[in-house]
Order: sequence, then C-alpha cells, then structure tokens
Amino acid sequence: MSESRTFGSQLLSGLRRLPIDTSLLAPLLALLILLVVSSLASEFFLNTRNISNVLRQVSYTGIIAIGMTFVIIAGGIDLSVGSMLALVGVVLMYIVNAIADPVQAVIMGMLGAVLVGALFGLFNGILVTKGRIAAFVVTLASMSIFRSLALYFTDAGEITTRNPLFNNIGGGFFLGLPIPVWTFLAMAIVAHILLMHTAYGRHVCAVGSNAQVARYSGIRVQRVIMSTFVIAGVCVGVSAIMLASRLNSVSPSDAGYFYELDAIAAVVIGGTALAGGRGSIWGTVIGALILGIINNMLNLMGVSPYLQGLMKGAVILAAVLLQYRRNT
Amino acid sequence: MSHPLLRLRGISKAFGPVTVLQNIDLDVEPGEVLGILGENGAGKSTLLKLISGVYQPTAGTIELDGQPFQSLDPIEARSCGVAMIPQEFNLVPSLRVYENVFLGQEIRRYGLLDRRTMRRRTVEILASLNVDLNPNLMIGKLSVAEKQMVEVARVLVNDARIVILDEPTTVLTDREVAVLFDVVRSLQSRGVAVLFISHKLKEVKELCHRLLILRDGRPVELCATADLTEEDMAYRMVGRELAQIYPDKGSTPGDCALEVQGLSVPGLISDISFRLHRGEVLGLAGLVGSGRTEVAEAIMGLQARVSGSIRIDGKPVSIRDPDAAHRHGLAYLSEDRQGKGLILNFNVMQNITALSLKRYVRGLIRHGAERRQAEHYQERLAIKAASLRNPVGLLSGGNQQKVYLAKLLDIHPRILLLDEPTRGIDINTKQQIYRLIRSLADEGNAVLVISSELEEIIGLADRALVMREGQIAAELTGDQINEQDIMLYAAGARHRDSGAPEPALN
Amino acid sequence: MRINTMIKKAALAICLVGASTLATADEYHIGVTVPSADHGWTAGLLWWAQRATADLAEKYPEVTFTVLAADSGTSQVADVEDLMVRNIDALVILPHNPATLQRVITEAYEEGIYTVVVDRELEEPAQDVFMAGNNPGLGEVAARYMAEELGGQGDILVLEGPSIPINSQRVDAFNRVMEDYPGINILASQNTDWNPQRALSVTEDLLGRFQHVDAIWAGDDDVLMAAMRAIAENQRDEIQLVVGGGGSQEVIDLIRNDHPMVKGTVTYPPNMVASAIALAVHGVKGEHLGDMYHGVPSRIILAADLITADNVEQFYEPDAAY
Repeated sequence: MSESRTFGSQLLSGLRRLPIDTSLLAPLLALLILLVVSSLASEFFLNTRNISNVLRQVSYTGIIAIGMTFVIIAGGIDLSVGSMLALVGVVLMYIVNAIADPVQAVIMGMLGAVLVGALFGLFNGILVTKGRIAAFVVTLASMSIFRSLALYFTDAGEITTRNPLFNNIGGGFFLGLPIPVWTFLAMAIVAHILLMHTAYGRHVCAVGSNAQVARYSGIRVQRVIMSTFVIAGVCVGVSAIMLASRLNSVSPSDAGYFYELDAIAAVVIGGTALAGGRGSIWGTVIGALILGIINNMLNLMGVSPYLQGLMKGAVILAAVLLQYRRNT
Repeated sequence: MSHPLLRLRGISKAFGPVTVLQNIDLDVEPGEVLGILGENGAGKSTLLKLISGVYQPTAGTIELDGQPFQSLDPIEARSCGVAMIPQEFNLVPSLRVYENVFLGQEIRRYGLLDRRTMRRRTVEILASLNVDLNPNLMIGKLSVAEKQMVEVARVLVNDARIVILDEPTTVLTDREVAVLFDVVRSLQSRGVAVLFISHKLKEVKELCHRLLILRDGRPVELCATADLTEEDMAYRMVGRELAQIYPDKGSTPGDCALEVQGLSVPGLISDISFRLHRGEVLGLAGLVGSGRTEVAEAIMGLQARVSGSIRIDGKPVSIRDPDAAHRHGLAYLSEDRQGKGLILNFNVMQNITALSLKRYVRGLIRHGAERRQAEHYQERLAIKAASLRNPVGLLSGGNQQKVYLAKLLDIHPRILLLDEPTRGIDINTKQQIYRLIRSLADEGNAVLVISSELEEIIGLADRALVMREGQIAAELTGDQINEQDIMLYAAGARHRDSGAPEPALN
Repeated sequence: MRINTMIKKAALAICLVGASTLATADEYHIGVTVPSADHGWTAGLLWWAQRATADLAEKYPEVTFTVLAADSGTSQVADVEDLMVRNIDALVILPHNPATLQRVITEAYEEGIYTVVVDRELEEPAQDVFMAGNNPGLGEVAARYMAEELGGQGDILVLEGPSIPINSQRVDAFNRVMEDYPGINILASQNTDWNPQRALSVTEDLLGRFQHVDAIWAGDDDVLMAAMRAIAENQRDEIQLVVGGGGSQEVIDLIRNDHPMVKGTVTYPPNMVASAIALAVHGVKGEHLGDMYHGVPSRIILAADLITADNVEQFYEPDAAY
C-alpha cells in the first residue's frame, strides 16, 4: 500500500467523524478545493457579479439534475431531458406569444411548461413501466423524438417573444440574486425533504435498491418508477421557463444541448450511485456547482479552449474517484 | 502410497475474534468418498473454501499431492486438481452444453473455436458418466439434475482429482439422486477423491466410505461410515437432544384466523385448502418445488392468476397485493432474505420500518420515533449491530434474519407466514427464533412455518401439512409428525387415504 | 503527504498561469467567443482567432485577448457573461444562434463594450460593427462559374447545408443564376448538415440514384472532400467538375495541383474572425482604418472570391486549419 493511500484514507476517516452526512463528504471536499483554487487563480472569481452569474448558469442544469437524481435513485436514467427542454421551451414560447394579455401569457406559459414537462415525463415513465423497456432505450428514443418535434414545429428557427414581462422571470433579481438561483434553491429544499423525510422518498430508494424487496414490502414499484420520470419532466419544465425567459428566446436545435450529460454528471459527482438505491439532493446541488465553477474558472483564467474539455473531464474523474476510495 | 492426495494439518480459521474452524486434521486418499457432516454453521463451507483456496487458513497447513501450501489461492487450487461443484451452478444459461463444459478453456484450431472436437469430447465425457445428454442443448432448457451433470463434466475436462460436492442432492428427485450416486462411483473408480457434503444422513451412509463430523467448528468424529448408525451421526452433529432446541408445544388453538379454500395458481399449486388457528404453529413441509412458497405468495397477493377463496376471522377477503395483505393483518417472511426480504444498503432502522412507515409519518417522517422503535426491537430480539445506522448488509445472517422478523412484527401482524425462518443461520439464533415463534403463537397469533428441515417441523409444529406436486398430500397431528411419515407423503410413497385420516375440513 | 504536495504544486501552477495573464493586463482587453471546432470551418475559425490574437498581441502590447469556444448557444451565453466579469473593453462574437445570444450581446453593448458581431446577424442590432461573408454571393459566383465551365449544358447535384438562413441564401442565389441556363438540369438538392460523414452517405445515395452526373456543387469544402471520396469509390469518371464553397486549404491544394474535377471553390473565409478582431482593436481605440476619413464602418461584407488555378497561389496558407 502506498504512502499517499494511507494518508488519504486517514484523512477521510478523520473527516468522517465530523457531523456531516458522510456521503456528501467527497463532493463537498472537491467543491471546497475548487473554490479555493479558483479564488486564488482569478481575481474576478469572488466578484459578486461573477458569483451571481455562475449560480445562474448552474441553475438551469441544476434544476434538471434534481429531477434526474430521483430517476437515477429509482434505478433509471433519463437521456431525454435536454431535448425535452427544447420542446417544452418551444411550447412555452408558443403559449406566451399566443395570449395577448402579457400577465396572462406569462402565467399560462409557465403553467403550460410545467404541465407539458410532466406529460412528457409521464410518456417516458409509461413506456418504461408498462412497456417494460429499459429506461436507457426509452429515453434514448424520446431524446430523438423530442428534439425532432421541436425542430419540426419551428422549422429549425429560433423563436423569440416581445412579451415585456417574460424576461423578468429568468432575467430578474430578488434580494441581489437572480430568480433562477432562488428557484433552484427552493426546488432543492423541496426535493431534499421529499427524498429524505417522506415515505415517498424512502420508497424511491427502496425501489432503486431492490425492486423485488420493495414489491414484497407492498410498495407499488411501477407507480414509483413512473413518478420519478414525471418529477424529472416537471423539473425540465421549470428549467425551460428559467432558460427561455432569461434569453427571451428558444433555439430548438440548441436549447438543452448536452444537458442530459451535465445533469447526469452532476448527479454522479454528487455521490448518487448510477446503479440506484441511494443518493442525495445536496450532493447533486454540489455536483452542479462543481461543474459550473469549472467552466467559469477555465473561462476566467483564459485556459486554451482546446484544453477546457480535458480539465472538465479530469475534475469529474477526480471527484468520482474520491468517492469510490471512500466506498472501498 | 507415499502421500495422500490431500492432507490437512492443524487447520484453523478465524474471522476477527470469531473462530469458525479449529484444529482440523484430515487425509484424503485417491478414489475415496469422504462425507462431511455438520449443522448449518458448523464450519463445513468454511472448510471447503479453505481447500478450494477461497479462504486462507489462520493456522495449519494444506498439502495437495505432497506439495505443502502456506496460502492457497483459487487458481492454484484449481491447477492442483481441486474442483468444487457449488449449490448454485456457475453455468451460462444462454450457451450450449458443450460451450459451458469448455467455457474458459475452449479448444482452438488455428485460433478459431474447434466446435467439433469440443462437442465430441463433451459426448465422450458425458457417456463415461452414463449420462445421455445432447451437447447442443441450451443450458436454460435443462433440468437441475442435468445442469449438475454439466458441472461434473466441466470438472472432468479439467482433470480434477478432488471433487467437492456441496449439498448436491437437495434439489434432486430420488431417481436423479441415484444417477448422481452412479456418477460419484464412476469418479471414484477413476481414482478421483470426492468430498460429499450433505445433511441427509441416509445418503451419506449409503455413499461414503469415511465420515468427518463437524460441530461448532471442531471435528467431533472421523471414522469409517460403517461404524456409525444414523442416530449416532445425528447425535454427534447436534451434540444434544433435539428436543432441547425447541420450546415446549402445547398451547390450545383458538378461533380460526385464516381459512384457505381451493387456492390454485395454474401450473404451480392446485386446490389448496386449510385452516390456521390462533395460538397455533402450523408446519408446512414438502420437497423443494412442491409449491410451499407459492401457497404463501398466493395468499399474500404476490402471484398472478390466483383462484380460490380466503377468509380471515371468518370474513371473506380479496387480496391483490402485499399492501392489502398487510392491512388484513398478514405478514410474510420470504425464504429469500436478501433477494426479497431486506434492502441491504438500507440501515437497520429503515429496514425495520419498511412496512410500517406510515405510522411514523406526520407529514414528514419522524426519525426519532423510528429510531426508538428500532432500538426497542434491537433489545427485544437481541440484534447485534454496531449501529442502527449501519447498512443491514454488514450484519451476519442471523442478525439480518432478526431484522427481517422485526420488520414484520412492526406492523403487528396477527397471521404470520414464515418461509424457511431459520435458513442459513447458527444454532443459537435458531433457538431464539423458535422461542419467538412459540411466544407469538402463545400471544394468540397464528403462525405458519414453511420449512425444508424436517426436525424443524417436528420440533415446532402443533400440526403439519405436507405438500407434494402443488397439492396438500397430508395433514399430520401429534405423533404423526415424524420424519418417516412426512417423507413418505412428501415423496409420494404414501397417499392420504391409505394412511392418515382425512383432514377435517368442511 | 504526497497528495498534499501535489495539490500545492497544482494550485501553484494554476496561480502562475492566472498571474501571468493578469500581469500583462493593460489598457485594453478584448474577448473573443466563437462556436467550438465541430467541423472544418469552425475549426478554421478558432485557429484564425488564436492566430490573430497572437499576432495582434505582439504588435500592440497594450491589448490583451481572451479566446473562448462554446459548444452550444446557451454555453456561449455563459461565456459572454464570464467575459463581462473580466471587464473586457471589446467583444468579438460569432454567435451560435443569434436569437439565443441576442439578450446577452445587447447587455454587453449597452454596458458600453465595443461589440463586433461576425457572420450571423442579430434580429435587433446591438453592435458597433457587423461583419460577414457574402452568402448569396457565394451561391451566385459558384453557379456562374459552373454554368460557364459546363458550357451551359449538364446534370448537376447540389449538396446543401442544414435548413438555416445562411444555407438558403446560398442555395437560392445559386438556383436563381441557374434559371438563366435552361441547359443545366439540377438533378437533386440534398441536405448534408455540412457534416462530412453525412455528406459521404448522401453522395453515395445520389450517385447510386443518378447514373450520369456532370457536375457537383457542394456548399462547403468539407462536404466537397467527402463527396470526392464517394466519387472515387464509385469510379464515376464521367463527372467533369466539382465546385466547393468556403476555401479550405485541402481544396485549394487540389486546385493548385490541377485536379481533374475539383477546379474551383468560392471563398467564405473563416479568417473573417481574424479581420473582425483586428477591427475591434482599432475600433476600441477609436482609430481609423488605413487612410479612411471615417471611423471603423458599421457593416462590412466580404467579397465572395472565386478561386481557380489562375489565382490559387494568393489564397494558399499551408499552416491554416481550414
């Protein structure tokens, strides 16, 4: 056994005695290291405006990652979230543009986006449970379907809106922080309570750990799995509202591009097992922050655009390695 | 003979502070069939794992073919000719017989698979065992006994010289057992040594030349089989009278708690009818595959296409899923503790409250109440766990079983269906569980115990049902509950009308 | 112990990198953001952006540059936000999707950042300078050249790009010119997404469908190279002429070496971003271009030049990525 390994395990076992949920330790450590390095590396990093920018950039994928956490804990995966975001965004813009009264338009648009997101999630969920198709396959297919519909409805063109209020949602501020950030935070709190402190959350974990045991324990396994996809869809709906209103437009070819991978990466960095059964919302929030800060730091430092992908991949690997060392 | 095929000297094995095997000396000669007897937890499987290199001994030496090994690993053991045929077969169901026989040691010609030679050699090997099996069949299509033969053939391809058979007959019919014994004898005539692990005394008596009896990790007897009667063997295995393990029977049964009429699941069970009374422990015996588990699952709403009627406390009920069953006061302990009973990465507390979670929810889960209840069960059932927050997968089998029981008890069931409640756990925990079962019955609950261990049915049950091929073959009471009668009905050698009186059902 | 020192070393190295970029920070800081290199043309774009910033940084020590590449419009929004945090004085942007970037570019422009938008025009102008290639011109020049080379007679395949405005401008202009030549017959006009793999299979399919083809027009030079592969594999020697668009070094090299089919392409140069960066340097300092009496113009459209064997040498830049 090498010296560094013993040191590492000593360090971790020492940290483990702190009164924090141990599964959060590795991602938290990675986040702290990243924060320290970033603030040393760039004078702009701790700038209030930069912090609020980073948080806002993180919140779009972060909100989706919250929904993804439920899906993954229940043993599934949802590859369609990025494309779903584009399609929900397109529907949202249509509603906002179709209603003359600006207040009504915005309210109906938001309700519509959440509802449509939930429906798309239900579509995935029904195929996974009733259709008995693997979640990976179902959402791989729906990823393609949603993107294609978004492109078809818009002829691949971007949609914009002239609604004067719409931009105030994603572009607005409350108590000095952008509204998407508050939304992200509020959703994280609700999701955390749902996952850790309700019978539903316990059931999600049980189903992901061992669906057979869950069935023998009287849990309606199919319904639980389906519901996680609906949660993911609702999160996509909220994220679509935030993103579309921030940009005042939706590009069907571009919106949500690769968000599924960012969301999955955030969930995994946050310590949720890809095999399902356990995970935490705060871990996912930390994971999303880590990803956002890497992007921001690399930009602020002016790292070569060719090397940014390498740095990002390396940080993801490092964060995950830290976790697996803890588990073994 | 210069040296034996296998020689163990002073072998001991401890896991942390727990010694599971102590001071084993053993010589095995070529062409010998050695029986290893012992209760669950006596150290049989540990001994096998030491010989096959899975575990390293804490003390002592292993010699294979005169070559001493300080620490043996599975690959070395295999190359020295040690082969183990496990209870759970390691066969790939989607491959053919000959592909499985040569899996990992494929014969190649010019770098490509030589299917013809592999097929021919498979046929030869199977023929030498007097087994007629098409080498092109898919493993998934074979019976259990045929799969076992494929495992044996695989071992022979390896030129194994010591073959370990771990409880090979539990899953076989009598006729298949006879075939297996022929195969063992033909192995023996080639000079292969066979280690035969079983707890069926009759089989051991029939097949083995010598016997090693283990109790609590110690060798209590190593002698020629002919020197011992079956009773002697049983006595040496258990080391005390059987009766001591079981609590006294004899509560008076109360009202009928569960009445099952004409319960059928196509292809699995047909026309099952029985009554289960308060204060009673009803045993359900039968061979593996006779439909015992399916009866319990049908009652719990875990089987599809169930017909028949169920009454609880005299009222007809319709149970479509386990949740409904729980609401009617039923609870079911599955024989598959890890696959269907416990969530291994959940902690002790979360497992105990898995069924009763609703009670701890006031909007949100009250973690404090949950923990207090778990502590209550920890004390009541003497669950040994470092922390209630540890994953239940880290506990020993016996403690896991107690957690599983606590999970059922926490919904305060009035009718318990316990499927193999003591499978794979040590004798002390067994005794505790037997007492618990009896005390549950004494408190006025109704308990159904499904078990493959005849002693358990005999020692525990006030009344016993014997199942055969999906039907109830007999109902036995009092002195009728004995090993011989149960086996006769279970194996179909005797039928209900020729022996015991017709069960009183209306 | 080792982990500790490793982390320290890494942090130190990162600090040094950071510090070195800060140490030269001076009067002007120009941020450049382009789509990431997902095909030949965008690869050329990034290469030219880096080449131009290196050259200009040497020539004007008081100016520093930061170049970022984004793989989607939304991540480009984040890039612009990050650049604004770094207090840039000028922004040169080739927007992924104009509408997605509209708001953030407007924010930058309204903050007083000297803004140069390249290639893709915003719906509501929010820039000091807009600079682009001539898309209709590209189609027009290609069409006229091909019609004349073929003597006004022949069967033509057209390999289009995705259904975005730039492509339709090119193809519409091409078709308008061809209407003047009744002898030219456009057999098929298909989308290749400007993606070489896609282009290869599309060309294979089209060549299978049409047994006689005189000429092919590919709206993009990478697509042209993929089409050449399909032509070679199918041994279609009857094809007399293949014309591209963009002006990649690979195609220029073929023209220089008197390729029997590839005789011409029309520029739509990725180095427009290099010129845009140069414009930004002068614009942000309030300088004039050359001897012009006015400041930097607000709208610059580059010419669509036809490259043939006659003038190929002046477009030859062997180091360039496109």
